[in-house]
Formats: sequence, C-alpha cells, structure tokens
Amino acid sequence: MTNINYECPTYKDSYSRINAIVIEGEQEAHDNYISLMQLLPDQSSDLSKLAKMEEKHKKGFTACGNNLKVIPDMAFAREFFHGLHQNFQDALQEGKLVTCLLIQSIIIECFAIAAYNIYIPVADPFARKITENVVKDEYLHLNFGAIWLKENFSQAKAELEEANRQNLPLVWQMLNQVAGDAKILGMEKEDLMADFLTQYSETLAEIGFSGREIMKMAATGIA
Amino acid sequence: MFGLIGHLTSLSHAREVAKELGYDEYAEQDLDFWCVAPPQIVEDISVKSITGKTIVGKYVESCFLPEMLLTKKFKAATRKILNAMAHAQKNGINITALGGFSSIIFENFNLMEMRQVRNIQLEIERFTTGNTHTAYIICRQVEAAAQKYGIPLSQATVTVCGATGDIGSAVCRWLHARTGVLDIILVARNQERLRSLRTSLGRGRIMTIEEALPQSDIVVWVASMAKGMEIRPEMLKQPCILIDGGYPKNLANTVQIPDVHVINGGMVEHALDIDWKIMKWVSRCAPSRQLFACFAESMLLEFEGWYTNFSWGRNQITIEKMEQIGAVSVKHGFKPLVS
Repeated sequence: MTNINYECPTYKDSYSRINAIVIEGEQEAHDNYISLMQLLPDQSSDLSKLAKMEEKHKKGFTACGNNLKVIPDMAFAREFFHGLHQNFQDALQEGKLVTCLLIQSIIIECFAIAAYNIYIPVADPFARKITENVVKDEYLHLNFGAIWLKENFSQAKAELEEANRQNLPLVWQMLNQVAGDAKILGMEKEDLMADFLTQYSETLAEIGFSGREIMKMAATGIA
Repeated sequence: MFGLIGHLTSLSHAREVAKELGYDEYAEQDLDFWCVAPPQIVEDISVKSITGKTIVGKYVESCFLPEMLLTKKFKAATRKILNAMAHAQKNGINITALGGFSSIIFENFNLMEMRQVRNIQLEIERFTTGNTHTAYIICRQVEAAAQKYGIPLSQATVTVCGATGDIGSAVCRWLHARTGVLDIILVARNQERLRSLRTSLGRGRIMTIEEALPQSDIVVWVASMAKGMEIRPEMLKQPCILIDGGYPKNLANTVQIPDVHVINGGMVEHALDIDWKIMKWVSRCAPSRQLFACFAESMLLEFEGWYTNFSWGRNQITIEKMEQIGAVSVKHGFKPLVS
C-alpha cells in the first residue's frame, strides 16, 4: 500500500519521537483516568476499566517500537505533553471535572483517534494490527466523556468553552512540533488537523453544542 | 429526513458569507484553513408539498471550495465530500443530495472505493446526485424558454456544452427523443466520449464551443468548471437563449445584450415558501421558493419515501427515470424557473 522503508535511519529517528509520544500519551491517559476517580467516585469501576485499556495500549505501542528496534525518546515525549499535563493537573487540584474530561476524554481521545486512523494505512504490518485494535477502544473512551458531558451539559457548557480556549491552541502547537516527523512516517499535518477537527466537532455536537458554537470553538487558536 | 450537501462557489464567496453570518474567525482564513475545516450542519429545514405533506431536512456544509481543484488539492477535496457524507449518515439522514461539485468529485475520484470513513461505512443508498431531476428541469427550461422567446424547437439548433457528462448526456437524450429539435451540437473535452454519445444518439454534430456558439439558438451549459469562462458577445447568435446550469456558473459574467436571454439553469421554484436561509448564502438569489433541482430531488425522494440512490453513477439517466422524477416534481409543487 505504501513505499515506506521502515528500516531506514531517517524513518527510525522520527519514529523514536512519534512512538514515544504515543507511549507517553497512553501512560498519561492511564494516569488521568485513575485521577478522575477522585472526582467521579461513583464511576470508579468504569474508569478503572478505561485505565487498564490504556495500559494495554501502552504495552502494544512499546512492542511496536521494539519490533522496529527503535528506542523511544521518552524525555521528548514528556516535554511534548507538558502543557496539557499541567492543565489537567491544575484542573484536578481545583476539582474542575469538566475541564479534566475535556482535556482527557475529548481532546486527547479525538487526537488519538485522528492520528491512529491516519497512521493505520502507512504503518508497518506489526504496528498496523495493534493500532487497528487500539483505535476501536479509543472510540469507547471518547464516548465515556461525551456521555457524561451531554448529561450535564447545561452546567458544564461555560467551563467547556473556557477549557477549549485554554487547551485547543496547545493541540495546534503540539501538532506543529511533530509535523516534520509525522510526514516522514507518511502522515500529513493537513490530514491530521482535518480528521481531528471532524472528530472533535462531531463530539461537541453530541455533547450539545450548536453548529455555530462548534464552528467558533473548533477555530480557536488556528493561525 | 432529507439532506443537502452543499458548498460555496469560491474562497471570496466563503469569506463573504462567513462575515455576513458573524464567523469572523472563518472570514479571515485562507484556503488551507478551509481544507481542514470540518463539515457542519448549518440549517434545519422544513418543506411543505402542495399535497399538504410536510418533511424535514438538514443542510450540510461540506466546506469544499472549487479552488481546491484549481490548486490540485485533490486529497482535501475528496476528504471534504467523504466527511460530509459520513456526517449526514451519522446524523440519521435518510436521503441526501450531493450538490454542486460533490457528486462530480465522488465520481471522478472514484470515492466508491473509499467508503470506509473512520468508523463509518458509507451506505450509498442514502445518497443521490440529484442529476436526474436537474436534467429533467433543464430540459423543461429549454422547452419553456423556447416558447417564451419565440424560438420554435423544430427550427432550432441546440448546443449542449458538457454533453458527455451525466446531466449533459441525459439532456441530449431528452432533446432527441422528446422535443423534435432540429439540430443538436455536442461540445465536451473528451473526443472519444463525444463520438460514443453521437453513436448512441444516432445524431448530433461534434464541435468546439467557438464553432458552436455562432450557430446556436439555445446553449445549455452543464460543464463541470471550477471557474466560469468568458464569452464574447459577438460569438453569439441573436436572438439566443443561454441556460447556465453550472455551479459555480459556467458563464463568468452575466451577458447583458438585447435578445440574448440568460436562464438560471437547473433551478426550480416551489409553489410554497420554504423557511430557510441557506439558498440565500449559496446562490445569492431571493430564495424563499427557488432552489437547485438536485436539492429538490432529495426532497422529492423523501416526500415519496423512495429511500434509494435514485441518481447514481455516470450516464445512467434514462428518459423513463426523468419522467418518473418529473411527475413527482409536478405533484409536489416544483416547476422549472424561467425568468
């Protein structure tokens, strides 16, 4: 399907950062779902299941790196997630459940879904199988956050808009930071942005925002 | 529920509409932004038939712009259409018309092979190009305009520009079989398809547009052009009728010459007001009753409960199907726009 040389040093160099981001992203997701138990104690059982799935994903993506004999650049990945990580932690400390859900269950999950869907057609055969299974789970995770926010939409709306203003620009910065590496792996920035925006807009619609509100929210921070 | 997938005619048109609607963030953006912008349902619509039946639908803005084709951003163009279709299906729309370039992109880029859109498998029977109704309406516009401006079809030469396309070929078949037209001139880019069309019709002269215009009493423009073309007034016969069925319009400027009558091709007028704003944005006309015939096709299919891709593929439109959709068009109160 593609003519990518998965063994060439340039590919492996870029893969060391992208693979690390994915591994770190799954670790962050695991930790975030565990943390959310503090704010949603009655949903601890579901959150625990989601966290376990994220841990499994992390193992899968670690295996993908091992398969290509690539050492993931975890220091780069931790720095990459620093902004979103800090915003999640701050919201957690302040008990802002809505902000936490927007960051983890909506923004990060939408981004993961977009990135994995774009990656699957250009992935090496080993990683393709793993990513295909992961992406199915990510839709469930997205659904978890969307359902809660939909049920509590009227109280959550203002905080969602504020959290969107704070965090969506970070997504565009993160994407710009790895656009070059993603391209070497066969993923175009435009495709990633387009798929993210489509998934994000659909999710905001499911939660209860109007088309006009979604158009304004989705354009936040795009230069 | 019916759906309409539409788009604006150019980047400047998109900016103008965005500004008018209060989307300042969109009004200032360039083409790259429109390439990544997601589809949106921008209006809920309700339409009443003269039979008394009322149906509801949604307008899906695909955020496609013709400049994406002009600048060879084909991947963006195809993504726009697939995402808009997935969005329509996800929102439970039973039958959706692919307006403007949507159906052309679907056909030309073979999107039939790309029906898996993330976690949605597109169900093709939920979509129609609307081309059967458009072709029917254009033919009725030819007949009505000929009568209105005193050009008997039995003595007329009619040129079809874009003759080998889905709509153009259907118009040729109707003109040949139903109107007694004196002469048909076939204009298109692909010579092989032109010869094949002439063989199937058993008539028709093949020419360039420059050769055809001075001989034509009526010109039907249904070419898929991302940008309109300029025509010099001296090329036209007077009197003549120009029926411009393109979106964006095939003719770059409105021709203002006495005895040259320009008709807004492929447009219908409904007998009752439609409560919507979208037609004002997409066609800049006075739109409480006027709309594209392809959009009207999805309404007709919804009125009749014909949940099927009534118009699909290339050059599959038969005269029987044009008559079938034409009969329900009349039944529910639509008529060809001739003004």
